[in-house]
Amino acid sequence: MSTTLSPERGVDLDAPPEQGPGRGRGSWRHNWLGGLAGWLWLVVVVVPIYWIVVTSLKSRTIYYQENPFAPPTEPTLENYQSVIESDFARYFLNSVVVTLGAVLPAVLVSFMAAYAIVRGGAASRFLRGVNVLFLMGLAIPLQAVIIPVYLIIIRLHMYDSLLAIILPSIAFAVPLSVLVLANFIRDVPKELFESMRMDGATEWRTLWSLAFPLTRPALVTVSIYNGLTIWNGFLLPLILTQSPEQRTLPLALWTFQGEYGVNVPAVLASVVLATLPIVVLYALGRRQLLSGLTVGFGR
Amino acid sequence: MTGLAPPAVRVRPPTTPAGGRGGSLAWMALPALAVFVAFGLIPLFGVLALSFTEWDGIGDIHPAGLDSWRAVLTDPGLPHALWVTFLVMALSWAFQTPASLLIGVFLAGRQRYREILAVLYFIPLLLSSAALAITYKALLDPNFGIGPGLGIPLLAQDWLGSANLALGVVVFVVSWQFIPFHALIYQGGVRQIPVALYEAAQIDGAGRLRQFFSITLPQLKYTVITSSTLMVVGSLTFFDLIFVLTEGGPGDATRVLALDMYKRGFQANLMGPASAIAVILVLVGLALALLLRRLGGRDASASQMEGM
Amino acid sequence: MANSSMSGLSMSRRGFLNLAAGAGAGMALAACGSSGPGQGSGGGGEASYWFLTAPPAEQIRTNTVNRFNKANPDTQIKHTAFENDAYKTKIRTALGAGQAPTIIWGWGGGGLKSWVEAGQVDDLTDWFAQNAAVKDRLFPASFGAATVNGKIYAMPCETVEPIVLFYDKRAFDKIGAQPPQSWGDIMDLVPKFNAKNIAPFSLAGQSRWTNMMWLEFLFDRIGGPEVFQAVFDGQKDAWSHPAALDALTKMQELVRANGFVKGFSSVVADANADQALLTTGRAAMMLHGTWTYGSMAEEGGDFVSGGHIGYMNFPPVDGGKGDPSNTVGNPAQYLSISAKATAEQKETAKKFFSTAVLDDTEVGEWLDTGGVPIVKGSESKIASSKEPEFLEFVYQTASNAKVFAQSWDQALSPTAAEKLLDNISKLFQLSITPQQYVDNMNQVIGQ
Repeated sequence: MSTTLSPERGVDLDAPPEQGPGRGRGSWRHNWLGGLAGWLWLVVVVVPIYWIVVTSLKSRTIYYQENPFAPPTEPTLENYQSVIESDFARYFLNSVVVTLGAVLPAVLVSFMAAYAIVRGGAASRFLRGVNVLFLMGLAIPLQAVIIPVYLIIIRLHMYDSLLAIILPSIAFAVPLSVLVLANFIRDVPKELFESMRMDGATEWRTLWSLAFPLTRPALVTVSIYNGLTIWNGFLLPLILTQSPEQRTLPLALWTFQGEYGVNVPAVLASVVLATLPIVVLYALGRRQLLSGLTVGFGR
Repeated sequence: MTGLAPPAVRVRPPTTPAGGRGGSLAWMALPALAVFVAFGLIPLFGVLALSFTEWDGIGDIHPAGLDSWRAVLTDPGLPHALWVTFLVMALSWAFQTPASLLIGVFLAGRQRYREILAVLYFIPLLLSSAALAITYKALLDPNFGIGPGLGIPLLAQDWLGSANLALGVVVFVVSWQFIPFHALIYQGGVRQIPVALYEAAQIDGAGRLRQFFSITLPQLKYTVITSSTLMVVGSLTFFDLIFVLTEGGPGDATRVLALDMYKRGFQANLMGPASAIAVILVLVGLALALLLRRLGGRDASASQMEGM
Repeated sequence: MANSSMSGLSMSRRGFLNLAAGAGAGMALAACGSSGPGQGSGGGGEASYWFLTAPPAEQIRTNTVNRFNKANPDTQIKHTAFENDAYKTKIRTALGAGQAPTIIWGWGGGGLKSWVEAGQVDDLTDWFAQNAAVKDRLFPASFGAATVNGKIYAMPCETVEPIVLFYDKRAFDKIGAQPPQSWGDIMDLVPKFNAKNIAPFSLAGQSRWTNMMWLEFLFDRIGGPEVFQAVFDGQKDAWSHPAALDALTKMQELVRANGFVKGFSSVVADANADQALLTTGRAAMMLHGTWTYGSMAEEGGDFVSGGHIGYMNFPPVDGGKGDPSNTVGNPAQYLSISAKATAEQKETAKKFFSTAVLDDTEVGEWLDTGGVPIVKGSESKIASSKEPEFLEFVYQTASNAKVFAQSWDQALSPTAAEKLLDNISKLFQLSITPQQYVDNMNQVIGQ
């Protein structure tokens, strides 16, 4: 029960091979209650998603006349067109810049810190202290510190810039990333580090030529988790940016809602467009993405 | 995803081989430390400091002693926000836990079709809170939404305009997004229960229901605690969703602590009292995390505070 | 700002009549020469200007900026539009960050006062003194909400916007009734409309200030303008006035009688959903600012063009003390100049004020969309505009009003306004009693 996340045991959706094959078909066959819940939940999940997609393909006038669940009689892309014409590309690009600009540095600095903590923690009181600090950092909710963050960003004259979103995003990605990466690095057999040391490699070289490739699955996982959190982030852009030039997608969705008003199909088209990139990623790498979503779970 | 709590992790004690090289490594931790201190730790102390000041957001910041605290602690808005926060927390826990437990157990089965279901289950997790809130707002609109469209009066309720229903909607939307996530955790837990336990129970003639209560549930004890910790601590951070969905309304029916802070700070321009609320938010989060950790027992706990 | 009884908050009838007298057109635009062309050519001096979205006003504002930019290639203005409900917060955070736009669009009153107290906007008194022609061509009454401690901090602009009662003639035909002449009529109409499955009143309750408009009229009609003036002046326990309690009780009676559209608490005005309810025949009446006329004409199908729209001033309350001619709303909109802007940007802004704001083209555009610009002599152009009937009504409502009060939330400080809106929304939610409302609000008087 108390295992830690490890490279082999990242949360894995599909069958873990440790269990005997007999169990699935044996003892679980008559789980009607679970089955009922499972199918019921499927309906609960699928119906709104179906409604979003179908409605986004209807024209505004038709939306009010038809059964909302009926497939569109005359599917139209006009809603998508009007969303795209409302500067969607710019908001999309901003989200990409913020996400990459925060995730890459966050994961890199976290990786270095995790390596230092694992390799030097025993001998360095400082590194142990840093470790404890990051652990405490896990407990700080972003909302609670948004006022001072706003104040700091103002004083640094970074208000209304993408950097204003990126820097706090990195800071709030670091604690968890360090923790997860440190756990992975601990699983690297010590003999490998020793042999590197025998060869006279510096820590810096060991970091990149040994630890980095061995930790790659964890790096991907952590990147996905942080990426999703930042891609979908709302509070930081809301408080720290102002102009449409710096608007990211979640904020743009919110303003679309105000602009389009009761034009429900257009609002939903913007929801689809903003979510599409992640759904595509999900389709491409479901397993990676899910392990990213649940990064860091002991189970 | 922003509503996710910092996931709980069990931390191993540092078992690093000795080798007096901590010093030469220390610099590698500096970049991460610097950015974390600047935008995480300093703001944490900053919010405490600001709670003893008066600031309207555009003028100068003046020290104000305990004024903000006095204003916040005597305002009936605070107990109300705490109560709403607690309600959202308790209700979403009470709804999500049995549902995700059932679905998790269901998903742990090996049939191929269950994996296909699982693919669909996780789509809600990909949506941003803003997208989710906007969708449900449109869906539940009493005049232009789905209820009047279908002509079913039962669906044409005043979902977001009546205090109790709005709270219910918030809980439902949260569950809609996060149940698959918790189901995934339970699925993992269930798959680790030794098959031998069930085989023994079957020999003893225990029925399915009894097996569930005498084997599955006790074996999942720590999974339940992990999942509950995430739900409870995570529920403190449902800002985006509620902000876009109801703005805390109708009235203040869904005004949780985080929203109360935002409204006081950025709408009523009372940054001092808003900071005091933020401090309370931090304290509540810490208290809950510690409480759940105690419940779970010291050693096996999956609480985020482990390892400190 | 409201030491002498109604001065800052409201304009007197006499004040408004003055503007009618102020001789006609040809307002000396020549004044622009005196403000000079700024320090040479552009080069980083581009001024910025934020205002509100929503058609048709957004287009008119944009057109004015475009014309200015075309006429002044060296001094450009860059504009950005924001939604109403989030606008105040946005401006505030930007001001706090020292990154406000050069030209700040606003509602004057308490919000402006809080900017002034923080030293965020420039004093324009001297500029107006030097450019008397700019000042003299505007309705004098529009300067009330631009004035803080006797100094002018904003340029009044755009239109005068009283709040009026819109109704759908078709709905009244369906139930065979006449528009309400009193509060009693209103209460009588409610069950009749509900019986026909038409909501009596459309209301965007989530926006909160929409609910407030109802109280503004009820307070005035029952107790006269003095009741809220006492609150505004910070008199102790001013909300405890018997007329206030009466108004709050009547308000809840209307809510209880299902006077408002189902689910009004979750309807948002930003999205114009409240207007859509009226124009699509789902609601019979709507109390709203005259600015909605333009958007209903544009987005509301044939509601306006087909002559289905009706409008009137808020009816009297039987036995009330308030003058039925009184009205409330926005005496004008206001443009301030950020104190943090560069000298160059400020010059551009002033040039914009004196040469572009409410130029003849803009005046014409406002008139065509159903707005009465605050320029003296506008009334003479009403007859030849596209919407003469409605404009005449707006003009008469504004100029005949014995008291034209500024909207409460605009008049009060942002902190007090937030508390006010909060309690109003709870009152409409029936989650507090009128007495609780009074107690809550008495606590924050003078803040």
